[in-house]
Amino acid sequence: MDLKQSIMNIGKYLKFGAVALFGAVLSSCNSNDDLGKQEIEIPGITIDGDIDCCSAEEALQVYKFLQTVKIIPELSTVIDDKYNVFAYSKTGKFHGGYNDIYFVATKKKNGNYIKNFEISALKPIMLMVKMNMKHSTPVSAGVESFNKNYLAVKRGWVSFVMNTSDAGSWTLSYDYSVLGSDGTTGEQEIIVDALPDGQQWLKSFKAGDDTYYLSLVNPLDWSTGKNTITAFVSKKNTPATTPYGLAGEQFVIEIDPRMPDMGNHTSPDNIGLSRQSDGSYQGTVNLTMTGRWRIHLTVKDAQGNIVAGGDDLSDGYSSLYWEVTI
Amino acid sequence: MLVTALLTTLLMTDTVTLDRVRNLDEVLIVSNERGKRTRSVKGAVAGIDEHLGELRNVNLVRRGSYAWEPVVNNMQTERLSTTIDGMKIFYACTDKMDPVTSYVESGNLQSISLNSGLDGNPQATGNIGGSLDLKLRKVGFEADPRHVSLSAGHEWNGHLQVYGADAAFSSYRTYLNTGVFYRDADCYRVGGGELLNYSQFSKVNLFANAGLRLTDNDVLETTFIFDRATDVGYPALNMDVAKAQGLITSLSYKHLFGWASWETKAYYNHIIHIMDDTTRPDVLIHMDMPGDSWTTGLYSLLTTSVGQELQHDVAVNYDLYYNRLFADMTMYPGGAAPMYMVTWPDVGTLNTGLAVTDNVSVDSRQSLRLSAKVAWQNQRLNNQEGYNGQKVFFPLMTDHYYQTTGRIAASYQLSIFNSQFSIGTGWGSRAPTVTEAYGYYLNNTFDQYDYMGNPHLSNESAFELNSEFSILKSEFSVSLNSNVFLFKDYIIGRLDDRLSAMTVGAEGVKVYRNLDHATIANLSLTADWQITDRLTWNGKLGYSAGLDDEGDNLPLISPVAWRTQLQYGTGRVQTELEVRGNARQTNYAPKYGETQTESWNIVNLSVQYQVNSGISIRGGVENLFDKRYSAYSDWNNIPQKGRNVYLNLTIEL
Repeated sequence: MDLKQSIMNIGKYLKFGAVALFGAVLSSCNSNDDLGKQEIEIPGITIDGDIDCCSAEEALQVYKFLQTVKIIPELSTVIDDKYNVFAYSKTGKFHGGYNDIYFVATKKKNGNYIKNFEISALKPIMLMVKMNMKHSTPVSAGVESFNKNYLAVKRGWVSFVMNTSDAGSWTLSYDYSVLGSDGTTGEQEIIVDALPDGQQWLKSFKAGDDTYYLSLVNPLDWSTGKNTITAFVSKKNTPATTPYGLAGEQFVIEIDPRMPDMGNHTSPDNIGLSRQSDGSYQGTVNLTMTGRWRIHLTVKDAQGNIVAGGDDLSDGYSSLYWEVTI
Repeated sequence: MLVTALLTTLLMTDTVTLDRVRNLDEVLIVSNERGKRTRSVKGAVAGIDEHLGELRNVNLVRRGSYAWEPVVNNMQTERLSTTIDGMKIFYACTDKMDPVTSYVESGNLQSISLNSGLDGNPQATGNIGGSLDLKLRKVGFEADPRHVSLSAGHEWNGHLQVYGADAAFSSYRTYLNTGVFYRDADCYRVGGGELLNYSQFSKVNLFANAGLRLTDNDVLETTFIFDRATDVGYPALNMDVAKAQGLITSLSYKHLFGWASWETKAYYNHIIHIMDDTTRPDVLIHMDMPGDSWTTGLYSLLTTSVGQELQHDVAVNYDLYYNRLFADMTMYPGGAAPMYMVTWPDVGTLNTGLAVTDNVSVDSRQSLRLSAKVAWQNQRLNNQEGYNGQKVFFPLMTDHYYQTTGRIAASYQLSIFNSQFSIGTGWGSRAPTVTEAYGYYLNNTFDQYDYMGNPHLSNESAFELNSEFSILKSEFSVSLNSNVFLFKDYIIGRLDDRLSAMTVGAEGVKVYRNLDHATIANLSLTADWQITDRLTWNGKLGYSAGLDDEGDNLPLISPVAWRTQLQYGTGRVQTELEVRGNARQTNYAPKYGETQTESWNIVNLSVQYQVNSGISIRGGVENLFDKRYSAYSDWNNIPQKGRNVYLNLTIEL
């Protein structure tokens, strides 16, 4: 650590003290303002008491959540010139593997969020140009509210088995039902970016004639320490253009996290993924540091038979793995 | 511990000046009859590590030719207290490359005092093995109005150059002494002539001490030290140090009552330590490993003498400090993403303690010394990432801990006829160090294991017994010295085969644990013989043992060691022949990764010539027969210097 950094460090401590002091002063000032009623103002939204729409408090929560995600313009649509449906993802784009997609519907007249609407039939399709072949990819079972603080936001997910390239391109469509106006967006072209090196969040395996996909959920939320690891197991459909739903079979996914750049260093007390009531698989992964981790997998069926992975390659670890760089 | 067991090396010649306000240790420095002998033959030009090596009970762990780690009674840093003029200071390197003694220069110091065992100096906490206090050189009031000293030294092996200049000004009301020192060394040659790569270093040091007498009874003093070592090689380790920098400051106020003296000092120090592996070939993964330590604190010491028939010299000390330690590591595998971990999770330690010592002069032949200290400590882990990482291993840990530690010691000394007898006992405890409690994957190249701190450790405690028996005749004296430490909850790393090593090439992971009990014992026999007026001889033989709870050897315990010196002096010329050596290490600890060290003997010659009252020249040859050897405390058995010729010049104006 050089001198500058150390001065900054001292600065940090001083700043901490200053913030604490300032905070104390502020909170003591604020006590006088408690009686003053404060109007909630949300940019672009008029709170006009429309019963279809959120109250001021609810709308504020939704608005705050939407600040943490980015709009996907190609999946947003106008309905009967009365309503808007907006789709969001973390980055406003898609990438290979698991992507959350969030939806809100608003009224054009007041910009406010509509409480009850439905999104269904998320349908991603890959057109492979050279082979003139189409297939879909794993998707969520439905699109649902997921957080009681902002019920007017609905979430679904798509896990892309490949990215957009010269070999093929993706479209995505969904159906909506907003206050009696039903319809579909039709196939909208979307771009699915490749994940950077060191990130492999979707793996597949074959069991019998069936192909299964293991979609790892948002591993970039992980940090050093104990993390919940969440994944979905999806099953390929026939025809392949039907989006792949969650596999009906129950599996157990054992994990062995390793750092290939550190002599396959591992961490203790990891807990394999088991199926939860919501259909997801959850376990615990412990990370001792940031960097590139391979989560080697052994998939077992309900009887405990290995159905995928668990093969010890020359390096001693399963060939089936997710790779995550945090 | 009895007053005679208080050992001191005199770094300065005879220019020691006492402050008006004395504490007992400083009195002892001047009155210490051993003073002349326990000074390094190289004089003030010698490095601080060489001065430390002159202290009885001290060994040095060497990882290179710079920044040696003092070991007292076969206990390392974690069981010692090191203070600079009573100020707490903590090293910033997770690999112990920078014992705090490396952040001062011999020229900054008047003396180094060592209290062996649990009877520490008032500011010491956690001292089971002993407490070192580096006493800064202060010219004091009413000394020579002006004094300038210059020193230069050269050692041929490794082309070590030492230059120092300092000036002192003193009056009734003010004093100032200030100096600048520079050391630079290339890699040295081991016995037989082979060059030991990465054994170079370079160091610059600036210091100033100033005093202002406000009234006849009130004094203000301030200290400033800036010390920077760069390009320091560590041949025993996998990496070197780009920069190790210390800033040490203090302001103190002394008041003299009619019946007592009272000193209160506030201080601040900051250490920055940056390791560097970029000059090494074959580095598997390049790493950045900076460490940062800062400490601020104060102590307030009241010393007084009371009683007529039974005279009590009493000292009461209150101290408070806050230390913060942060270290992290970024590894860069070729092509892939960097990997990052926090190795010391920004641990803030707030410690406060109260100490009392009482020296009782029962009569002219008997004396008694009592000392006690109790300290409270609060530790908080301020770095969330580091805390989360460690919580994986210790799910029940929290981010703050409290500890209470204490020590109590008593000793009795009796002089009858031509003999002196003393016996002492003590009990004390220490809190686990930050490395032991919160260290995260710290690779130890001694045994090739990664070490994990354990936040659930109990305090370690020890019960000490010591004795000394001396026969003193006018021309001959012999002394037998012994101590034994019976530990409870001894802290050491133990293999946890559940865990996977982080460092590439490491054997596995060790986690610090409390051993139910352990024992360390030391026995030494010293003899002095004034053969003629000009010829003197002294010899020392030491034996040590350290055993863990299963009766196996503890690591880094000295084998049988000896040292003998024959000195011949006329008025102006002093010559010395020294032989020192170790027996083959039979008490090594394979269980803790220690390898056996072979026996060795070396011969050193030195000559000192006092040209006139102001100029002295010291020269000599170390390791005369160019023996290739390494001592048990040489990390990974790196060999020591081969034949080395030195010449040092000191000019006092």
